[in-house]
Amino acid sequence: MSKIEKALNKARGERHNRPGTELGPDEDREPIRGTALIPEPRGELVRLEDISRMNQNEMPLLDAEGLSRHGIIRPELFDDPAVQAFRDLRTKIMLQGQGENGVVLVSAISKGSGSSFVAQNLAAAFAFDAGNTALMVDCNFRNPSLHRLLDDPSTPGLTDYLENPDLDLSTIIRPVGISRFRVIAAGRKREIPAEYFTSAKMRRLIDSVRRRYMERFIILDGPSMSDIADIRILSELCDYVILVGRYGRVTGAQIENCVKEISGKKMLGVVFNDEPRIPQIGWREFWFRQWRVRFPWTGG
Amino acid sequence: MQIHPEQIVRMLIKEAFVSRRVVVGVFVLVNGVLLAMGLTWPKFYAASTSILVEDRNIIQPLMQGAAVATDVSDLTRNARELIYGRRIMDRILDHGGWSESQPSAVEQEFLIEAIKKRTTVSNVGRNLVKVEYRDTDPGRALRVTQKFAELFIQEGVAARAAETRAAYDFIDKQAKEYEAKLSQSEQEIRQVRGSNVDARPVSEVELSARLALLNARVETTTMELREAEIRRDSLQRQVSGEADVTAGITREGQMRARIGELQARLDTLRLSYLDTHPDTIQLKLQIQDLTKALESERQRPSQGERAGRGEMNESAMNSPIYQQLRRELSQTQVTVDALKARIAESQRLLREEAQRGKGLRSGDARLADLARDNLLNREIYQDLLRRRERARVSISLDVDRQGLTFSIQEPATLPQAPKGPRFWHFVFGGLALGILVPFGLLFVRMQIDPRVRFGETIPKAHNVPVLATIPHLWTPDELKHLKAELPVLKLALVATVAVCAILSALRMAQVL
Repeated sequence: MSKIEKALNKARGERHNRPGTELGPDEDREPIRGTALIPEPRGELVRLEDISRMNQNEMPLLDAEGLSRHGIIRPELFDDPAVQAFRDLRTKIMLQGQGENGVVLVSAISKGSGSSFVAQNLAAAFAFDAGNTALMVDCNFRNPSLHRLLDDPSTPGLTDYLENPDLDLSTIIRPVGISRFRVIAAGRKREIPAEYFTSAKMRRLIDSVRRRYMERFIILDGPSMSDIADIRILSELCDYVILVGRYGRVTGAQIENCVKEISGKKMLGVVFNDEPRIPQIGWREFWFRQWRVRFPWTGG
Repeated sequence: MQIHPEQIVRMLIKEAFVSRRVVVGVFVLVNGVLLAMGLTWPKFYAASTSILVEDRNIIQPLMQGAAVATDVSDLTRNARELIYGRRIMDRILDHGGWSESQPSAVEQEFLIEAIKKRTTVSNVGRNLVKVEYRDTDPGRALRVTQKFAELFIQEGVAARAAETRAAYDFIDKQAKEYEAKLSQSEQEIRQVRGSNVDARPVSEVELSARLALLNARVETTTMELREAEIRRDSLQRQVSGEADVTAGITREGQMRARIGELQARLDTLRLSYLDTHPDTIQLKLQIQDLTKALESERQRPSQGERAGRGEMNESAMNSPIYQQLRRELSQTQVTVDALKARIAESQRLLREEAQRGKGLRSGDARLADLARDNLLNREIYQDLLRRRERARVSISLDVDRQGLTFSIQEPATLPQAPKGPRFWHFVFGGLALGILVPFGLLFVRMQIDPRVRFGETIPKAHNVPVLATIPHLWTPDELKHLKAELPVLKLALVATVAVCAILSALRMAQVL
């Protein structure tokens, strides 16, 4: 363990020991419990401090391989078309918000469109920027995916929080080993999601996480558009809706139907996902390597 | 948004990469199938010959109208029927060596069908028949093609001769029938005439024509007669009038001349003498006498008319005009007499003919019928005889091969190289199809699949913006699998091409 890491751990330990600060940056405090949502006076200093604290992950950061394994982009791959596409998408959403943070619902037009992939990477793209943070909420109870990013998949999530009044918000906001990227997993309970979404607690949750940090973008990984009841409720909670259609999977009619369901103001657009791409693996080398003749005079 | 062709091509390549296993599989499969086909495809050798069926030769213009040459177009049209006919096919079976194994009737049928399939008969140009035969054995291809040409010519000539002969026989038979009819009707006529001597085979039409002719002649002659009579009367009138005028003119003229003379002499005398001179008085008296005589002469014509024509004096008789008129008058008189005689003769003939017509109408009607039949039969018989002679000449033309001629324009030669698709066709076809088929299938799928493949089309079609088109993100695991898979696919492709190349080389070296 390096000296820096030791120092970080020590600092973390000290913070844990301090009363009221043991829950880290995303702890849920009194204003959320109360009926009046009074934003805390937040200065520049507080915000920067919070961000710096967010950077101090409780779990070690994922390396390049770990990220790739989870299908998450990283900023070093700036010339990868997929990374460019996500950065472009992120920029468009930020421009749409005009400096304000926002809640973005990502939903699949049909099952298997890869909406979780898009949501994850969109969140990762937000987190690329040192001035922004991303919180991803897994609202797809039928087919959750975020728990895979966590160390312990059985950690309490959104359903547990909504069901259990004693559970603190800080317990469900989890780091995933990516800087400035937190998640709320779906949780263990997965029945009747519509009821959870309509609850006041859910609304409060979204409001609190949004208002807490102005630079935090919240991405809701929603169910597919076939669960239209859930989508309608979730779209009430969010600012923007992004539909994900997969190349060669969705039909024009499906797109048409989904677009009709979402109110025009919130409808941001369609992300056309998983267009085939031939990877750059050195094709010239691949085809002609074996024919390279080594003559004795070339010296091997 | 319009999809550009290059976008489609790019997308096709990407799709092909996605379904690379299927694409490589189809490529290998197509090549395998076509290589197998190429190896097992039978080698066919084709021999062909062209036969010129010619009817334009030196004899035809000479025999125009006298002989009928067989129509070439019919013959070339029927060439296929002739060659595919059982008669020629049977002999081809013998000649090609198929009959050696003593095939049954059913086997023969199959063999003939197979030969027919390998034989093509086509009309190249108007009167050129091309026969092509394909066989696995080049020698037999040549033999059979030659035999086809030989038999076709033989059969064609025989058919032509038979046709001409049949035509001749038919015409001959007809001619004989009419000959018999004709002799029979002539016999009957003789019999009827024997019983009725007066009866002559004069047709009513002929008679009426003759009557009409005579009538016309009478009318014409009568008109001429009238004309001649008018002329004669006119001349007579002129002759009498001329005598009076001549006589009058002669005497008066003489007297006036005398008076003029005397008056001239009197005028001369008056220049020298008085009126009382005896010569002058005498002259005056003479003039007075002459004047009186002239007066009396002027009154004479009326006296002359009263006295009649007989008093024609000599001076009038001597006038040349008078003499000419007299001559013409006598000639006209002769003409009038001749015409009268002619009219009388014509009327006599007319009466005779009318008499004869009466006899015909009342005479033997049967004879007339017979005569008519006979005439008709004779005409037909003569026509048939002419036709028969033409047919006879046509037969001679055929015998001498002068009418319709068959000549081999291009003789069959021994085929050296096999015809039809060659092995390299299959090799290159396989390589091309191996690429085209999977890409074609992908293209078809892209066209008929309603699922969206081009994000660019969404905004216009569904009125919703496309925020991003995310290309596939290759995970390390996927790349690992891909890198494991690609050499296998590459091996399959390289091996397929190598097999094609090796087999082509072996085929070229005629090992296979």
